[in-house]
Amino acid sequence: MATTATISLSSDIAPGFGGITESMTLTQAGNLVDIDSTTGFQIRKLSATGAVDLITMASELVEPKDSVAAKIFIRNIGYQGAIDKSVGVTIGVNAEPIGLLYGGDWMMMPLTCIDADDITANPATDDTVVLEYVMFYEEA
Amino acid sequence: MATTTAAVTLTSDLLSDNMSVSASTTCMKAGTTADGLDQMEYGYVNLVTGDEYDLVGATPTATKASKLYLKNHSTDETYFIAVTQNAQAIGKLYAGDWMFIPADFHDAAGDIAITANGGTNKICYALFHEGITLVTT
Repeated sequence: MATTATISLSSDIAPGFGGITESMTLTQAGNLVDIDSTTGFQIRKLSATGAVDLITMASELVEPKDSVAAKIFIRNIGYQGAIDKSVGVTIGVNAEPIGLLYGGDWMMMPLTCIDADDITANPATDDTVVLEYVMFYEEA
Repeated sequence: MATTTAAVTLTSDLLSDNMSVSASTTCMKAGTTADGLDQMEYGYVNLVTGDEYDLVGATPTATKASKLYLKNHSTDETYFIAVTQNAQAIGKLYAGDWMFIPADFHDAAGDIAITANGGTNKICYALFHEGITLVTT
């Protein structure tokens, strides 16, 4: 029951930078047991500015365990095949902006999963955009 | 144009049918479709337990695009680093875990900060950006 993620970064900014390729197996906190719960893969269509919850921690059907080893993957897939890399959606945690996810961009980060730390999305424009996302976590 | 590409492959067999997601993106400057990020920092540090430290020494320019990669290269599975931004907890990176985010350095308080737990953690990071405010001597 393994969940794995591999990142490959390449860049020609700095001469001699050989790139980064790293894999991780998502495990539970403090041990080597595979992480065992997920929200499943979801999409959310946004068509107006204003922050909305992508994930409301207190409303998950299966309560995530707090402050352990949860992860979330989010990707801005544009809308109906059109991806605009010049505009994006600000992803936040508990109203703190983490960063702006431009068209086609993706992110993966750990989460606390405590009830206050909802994952929010706030589009920069009223143009329709779709986010796809999946959260992996430990069941409380 | 400088070109920085970030690709990911995510697989999971937690569902009844295996999930496999692949994505790749070229990291662009804010608000552009033709100009890539053109500056970077790349480092590896041993982080001792105790205090919280800003990971990025100089503040990348607010409202600009930045991408941050961070990996905990510790090998003891009980070790982890707590990651915060502007005092807001993001989460914990256990030994072997990595993260990749479009970091929003909206002001000096918006720096990414990390705290080691369990023992001295080994941290690798790469920041791709389009400008920083250097700290004067």
